[in-house]
Amino acid sequence: MLQCIFLLSDSGEVMLEKQLTGHRVDRSICDWFWEQAISQGDSFKLQPVIASPTHYLFQVVREGITFLACTQVEMPPLMAIEFLCRVADVLSDYLGGLNEDVIKDNFVIVYELLDEMIDNGFPLTTEPNILREMIAQPNIVSKVLSVVTGNSSNVSETLPGATASCVPWRTSEPKYANNEVYVDLVEEMDATINRDGALVKCEIYGEVQVNSHLSGLPDLTLSFANPSILDDVRFHPCVRFRPWESHQILSFVPPDGQFKLMSYRVKKLKSTPIYVKPQLTSDAGTCRVNVMVGIRNDPGKTIDSITVQFKLPPCILSADLTSNHGTVNILTNKTCSWSIGRIPKDKAPSMSGTFVLETGLERLHVFPTFQVSFRIMGVALSGLQIDKLDLKNLPNRPYKGFRALTRAGEFEVRS
Amino acid sequence: MAPPAQSHRSSSPSQPSGKGEVSDLKSQLRQLAGSRAPGVDDSKRDLFKKVISYMTIGIDVSAVFGEMVMCSATSDIVLKKMCYLYVGNYAKVNPDLALLTINFLQRDCKDADPMIRGLALRSLCSLRVANLVEYLVGPLGSGLKDNSSYVRIVAVMGVLKLYHISASTCVDADFPQTLKHLMLNDSDTQVVANCLTALQEIWSAEASTSEEASREREALLSKPVVFYFLNRIREFSEWAQCLVLDLAAKYVPSDNNEIFDIMNLLEDRLQHANGAVVLATIKLFLQLTLSMADVHQQVYERIKAPLLTLVSSGSPEQSYAVLSHLHLLVMRAPYIFSSDYKHFYCQYNEPSYVKKLKLEMLTAVANESNTYEIVTELCEYAANVDIPIARESIRAVGKIALQQYDVNAIVDRLLQFLEMEKDYVTAEALVLVKDLLRKYPQWSQDCIAVVGNISSKNVQEPKAKAALIWMLGEYSQEMHDAPYILESLIENWDEEHSAEVRLHLLTAVMKCFFKRPPETQKALGAALAAGLADFHQDVHDRALFYYRVLQHNVSVAERVVNPPKQAVSVFADTQSSEIKDRIFDEFNSLSVVYQKPSYMFTDKEHRGPFEFSDELGNLSIGAESAVGTVVPAHRVEANDKDLLLSTSEKEEIKGPSNNGSAYSAPSYDGSAVSAASQALSELTILNPSVPGLTPQSSLAIDDLLGLGLPEIPSPAAAPSPPLLKLNSKAILDPGTFQQKWRQLPISLSQEYSVSPQGVAALTTSEALLRHMQGHSIHCIASGGQSPNFKFFFFAQKAEELSTFLVECIINTSSAKAQIKIKADDQSASQEFSALFQSALSKFGVP
Repeated sequence: MLQCIFLLSDSGEVMLEKQLTGHRVDRSICDWFWEQAISQGDSFKLQPVIASPTHYLFQVVREGITFLACTQVEMPPLMAIEFLCRVADVLSDYLGGLNEDVIKDNFVIVYELLDEMIDNGFPLTTEPNILREMIAQPNIVSKVLSVVTGNSSNVSETLPGATASCVPWRTSEPKYANNEVYVDLVEEMDATINRDGALVKCEIYGEVQVNSHLSGLPDLTLSFANPSILDDVRFHPCVRFRPWESHQILSFVPPDGQFKLMSYRVKKLKSTPIYVKPQLTSDAGTCRVNVMVGIRNDPGKTIDSITVQFKLPPCILSADLTSNHGTVNILTNKTCSWSIGRIPKDKAPSMSGTFVLETGLERLHVFPTFQVSFRIMGVALSGLQIDKLDLKNLPNRPYKGFRALTRAGEFEVRS
Repeated sequence: MAPPAQSHRSSSPSQPSGKGEVSDLKSQLRQLAGSRAPGVDDSKRDLFKKVISYMTIGIDVSAVFGEMVMCSATSDIVLKKMCYLYVGNYAKVNPDLALLTINFLQRDCKDADPMIRGLALRSLCSLRVANLVEYLVGPLGSGLKDNSSYVRIVAVMGVLKLYHISASTCVDADFPQTLKHLMLNDSDTQVVANCLTALQEIWSAEASTSEEASREREALLSKPVVFYFLNRIREFSEWAQCLVLDLAAKYVPSDNNEIFDIMNLLEDRLQHANGAVVLATIKLFLQLTLSMADVHQQVYERIKAPLLTLVSSGSPEQSYAVLSHLHLLVMRAPYIFSSDYKHFYCQYNEPSYVKKLKLEMLTAVANESNTYEIVTELCEYAANVDIPIARESIRAVGKIALQQYDVNAIVDRLLQFLEMEKDYVTAEALVLVKDLLRKYPQWSQDCIAVVGNISSKNVQEPKAKAALIWMLGEYSQEMHDAPYILESLIENWDEEHSAEVRLHLLTAVMKCFFKRPPETQKALGAALAAGLADFHQDVHDRALFYYRVLQHNVSVAERVVNPPKQAVSVFADTQSSEIKDRIFDEFNSLSVVYQKPSYMFTDKEHRGPFEFSDELGNLSIGAESAVGTVVPAHRVEANDKDLLLSTSEKEEIKGPSNNGSAYSAPSYDGSAVSAASQALSELTILNPSVPGLTPQSSLAIDDLLGLGLPEIPSPAAAPSPPLLKLNSKAILDPGTFQQKWRQLPISLSQEYSVSPQGVAALTTSEALLRHMQGHSIHCIASGGQSPNFKFFFFAQKAEELSTFLVECIINTSSAKAQIKIKADDQSASQEFSALFQSALSKFGVP
């Protein structure tokens, strides 16, 4: 049972406070929290669950905004954190992004949303679709409308039908002139490559994202060509359990709009699309660096937006790095970023240079970890393939679209 | 939004004072109040927005309360919402003005739009002004019967709010029964879920005073009700599902079939997108199968994949919460996760608290087949930029070495660490090599060769230095220059600041002396002389002891200091298995995150500081009257670092004169800046971090000095009038009793003699039951016949929910009673035992 929710700006200012129960939480708890955050150097490093002298605090940080919840009683910590994450998602969805200004400009809407999302400390509705029916979004269209018509209420006059319907995630009767549904496979590759160049761990975390604009109460079935490769799956509440259990078929009545139908994991991949080979040799107070990047396993589509980033070890006085392709930047926080973009056909990109070590230091003892990012459009690297999507209960044939995308998640190469 | 703090806030220079603006707003609002001009809602809305934004940044705008209420007559829903928000915020501090709002809120409760009805009802119940409760009953009653589910949802929560404002009003209006009816019959699942929440809270609170409520509370956990919820679980919202799962976790199934039914019903919940649901399901599964070992194993296998996915899919905050739970499971059943060790590899970007958990898990899952790879991975972290993590990973390598039989490769790695020439790596590795040698003396040759090359000058950390010195002493035979290194260390005795190192130095030089007397004699003399002159008590004592023992007989001294040692087979675990079991019972709660059972960090839910200081007051008096034993260890701890809960109550006692910040953290600030409230200042004085001031320790010191003292009755004396008050209407159901009995350790076990009259009266067990009940000690089960009787009793403290459990075996032929006491609050068990004995001794006495 949460007692209070605060929203803090990135300077620790309380932007919003929502008391949930009769046990009023004094906002000076935020001062305490912020002192802790500062003493830790970085609020991102603060644990998500902290005990203050008077309350247990849960915190979630998104785009510099801290969502802070307080309670005095024992409760499932994940429930609190999960709820705060939902609040963050819903707000970001409603306000079109999260930042200090947008929250301050729309604090009335934030209050309204929180009012519907939680009552007396217990979460109620966090389904964006239902909320959207209760509280209208502050988009430009409605602003213009309100100026023109003079009717400035941004709240729909009626209660959402879905609160009473048996499909709680769906609006009762949406109507579209063009019925369309898009299915995206979005995958992230997490990989760790050790000092010897061996692939220590390689795993894909993927999501099936659906954007549905379908009239009425459609019933969809989505099947995969190779569902057996999936290691573990999690579903949106709309997915029926039995068909998946018996035939690995996703059968569901979709919510309206964008939602995450399913998330999955594929373990033990054997290879990565690109390689990154760092070499560091140190001698007499300097360290020579050479990093090579190339295609290891051609996915058949262009690999885009390749960047290699690493943090310079603290014992380095200066660094001089150049590359034969792309640009190298050393940022003020001692992060070195080499953006490559696409790999050219004629040469393998490489970056080289020297580090000057602290005086008295012969060799480098601390080795940087290189973080790699890339994007590949049109391929799901796990190999998962959509077989077909069937739609029932629809008046006319809808448009169906499929896309795939893989990007690097935590892709790191140690040196 | 915090009215008590605003005077403080607004007076600070960085905040605008807002006084001028507020009076401006006031006059503007007043102008608009009666106006019916077109567009007036827009101007009202701007003004309201301003008021709310002032309120949000902490400026006191309660002055415009009247005007806000006057302007509330509008059909615009956003205006209404802002007004409700404002009213809810200031009503509690302005109870007189709050009366003004009742009228318009009650009118809104009858509005045609269900949304307005709901919102108005919610605001009405959120006013929380005790003298207005009479106005709540009507609207709540009709709200519960409203045909819109939205209103009913709000009304059910409203009943709970009413209960917290005025329990008697709520019960008199028979709302709990209405909720029960709704819970079992309403078509809307959110209404049902809210009823469940409200009833659980109301009946638990009532149970201590009303038999009926405790029956109702048990009825919530009866089979039909639990299955009614479980069968509908898919219709509930994800948050309500958590509630239902929580309820089911408290239910005790009657047989295995029922357990399997529940698990089949809920298996798909493991694939829910909401992590909270998944974790609640896991908790339920684990608890259900505790008594079925093989199924329990299967459950572990089944929940592994969902947990690992949860870790990798969510935000860092979510992963952390899941990881803490995973950590607990890995520690309980490492072998199940040993093939998934790669999931516990640390990633560069992860915060260190996550890395730390992962390192512990890697240590736990290491076995014959994966040790090599895990150790290789850990060695990579030793070169990590993050020094604390580098240290942790070296320690992890050491721990793995200590739990494995095949340590060849690991020893090599550890020795490589020693050659890395980084002081913290060397330091950690030295400590590990020492532990390793204690377990595997056969590795001494390889290790000593490397350790011998380390210059003691490069080792600064006390722990590492102590380890090095220990090895010098233990292996002085093999290490060529051991006596000379020790000698040079002794020469620098005064520069050695750590007593631990000096202690080790004394012992090492003794050991060395027995092995290589001629070379060490000089060093030993110097060490003993320096030790005797040492200001540290322990060092001094040890030096003196060595000196005397040597004087007495050198061979005896050798037997004492350097006996043949056996290899250590198991190092003591830092956390007892009992504590681990308790944490496991509290799965899916904060306990898991803190790695402590809840009694260690929450002393009492919603314990007010007022009550807190009262108790401490009693303690200081009690110390003189033989109740010194009552100072409960964890209560002191709670005082030290934990929660002085319920700030709201704190605000109430402070009264209007106090305009300081309502929030102060005594335990974090030893000097206790805020002497504002009586409660807090008392705490500071009794703060255990100032030992001289605690009544007990001063007592002990005085005693040592032989000063005359108020008489302290010895604990063995006849039971003095007990100060412990028991709840005469304590209630405990057999299931809970069994669970507690299983979980709690025996805190006291004693034997009493029973008076002859007592033996005579104990013809049947019932006689004793009635007698003990008169002393607020209740029986939950009894059996046996003359001469052997066995009873299980329980009792509860009068003011808090702290339970004592007693097993009592009485043999009438020997007139002896054997009792075993288990207690939530172990420190009070002595006192309870006295009370129990006095109650027992009165048995049979007319």
